[in-house]
Amino acid sequence: MSATVIALLAGCLCPARAQTSSKERIKAFAKLPDWSGIWELDAFVGQSDGQQFSAEGQRRLKQYAAALRPSFSPEYQAKYDEIRKKVEDAIAADPAHPPVTHQPLCVAPPFPATSSPGMFEWRVTPEETTFISTVGAVRHIYTDGRSHPPKDELWPTLMGDSIGHWEGDALVVDTIATRKRLYMGELSGFFVPMSDQLHFTERIRMVNHDQMQIEYTVEDSVALTKPIHVTITHVRVTDFNRMIEETDCEENERDPIVNGRITTIAH
Amino acid sequence: MKRAVAALVGISMLLIASSALAHHSRAMFDQTKQVTLVGTVKEFQWTNPHCWIQVLVPDPKNPQAEPVEWGVEMGAPVELMRKGWKPGSLNPGDKVTIVINPLRDGQHGGLVVSVTGPDGRIIGRPAEVTN
Repeated sequence: MSATVIALLAGCLCPARAQTSSKERIKAFAKLPDWSGIWELDAFVGQSDGQQFSAEGQRRLKQYAAALRPSFSPEYQAKYDEIRKKVEDAIAADPAHPPVTHQPLCVAPPFPATSSPGMFEWRVTPEETTFISTVGAVRHIYTDGRSHPPKDELWPTLMGDSIGHWEGDALVVDTIATRKRLYMGELSGFFVPMSDQLHFTERIRMVNHDQMQIEYTVEDSVALTKPIHVTITHVRVTDFNRMIEETDCEENERDPIVNGRITTIAH
Repeated sequence: MKRAVAALVGISMLLIASSALAHHSRAMFDQTKQVTLVGTVKEFQWTNPHCWIQVLVPDPKNPQAEPVEWGVEMGAPVELMRKGWKPGSLNPGDKVTIVINPLRDGQHGGLVVSVTGPDGRIIGRPAEVTN
């Protein structure tokens, strides 16, 4: 059979196949929950012009922080202690210019910190759920039945590799291959290294029209003695209806990092 | 940038990375102190990662002296807009009263606590509590 005939046959078959697929896809869409709208972490509701948290926001942050405290293995506790001491010493040496251990500051927050500042959107399709934040974070959660890529095709990335499946109205997500570190918000903030066993699972569902709940489980059989469990809440944004990307520090960066410390250019 | 700048001193957090990750800590501001600036807007910078107000503040004890320029840091444009600000909320020459947490390093700068505009009304959302 010539290549021309094959091409013609393919041309005849494709529209019919596309039509069937399209109908099936529409049916698949109808089974998915409606997560439309704009969302933010509940702790950020009511932040002021200077980005101070509200009293309720502070309460929520403390609640999350208590749940998030990790139980490190002795080896990783030592790493944590060493880094924390360095940061403590650096702050004591110059409290006016806080040290930063994470550069650059103007990249998207890595997973799982994606659920932190900014506003979020969820785009739910049969094949993929996409999380988009206004601080530059985009997560692709594949729900088409695929597995994670083989180990020799994975490397640590900002968002890692996420696959998911639906259990009723809950999206259950499995994430590996993130950067091998966890962010600690203590002091001026720092990362603690983790092992290549770092693994996240999430159970995400809309509990009512205005609240989404994300149950995180963080596991690392080398760095942690037990998994971390925390449930956070995203709430519907009602005072704004546009997603505006704003991860651009180059426009007017007046808090540059100099010798590993934040400085401020007052004028 | 949503540049939610979060001060989470003493709080252990991993998933909630604070805006520190988005941008930076606020530890350079002394949040135990407040300074009130009464002056004239030189420039309102509606920019990322932070909006800034440059304000000229005369010395009330020596009004003939050259006013001192202060730089006052705020959130990112989109976050300010959610709180009622617009790019034209302040213009050069506007008389303002701004309460700030001052910089620890002694520069004439700080973090906004509240801004009162030329009409005597507070603009946006002032800080509810000290973080």
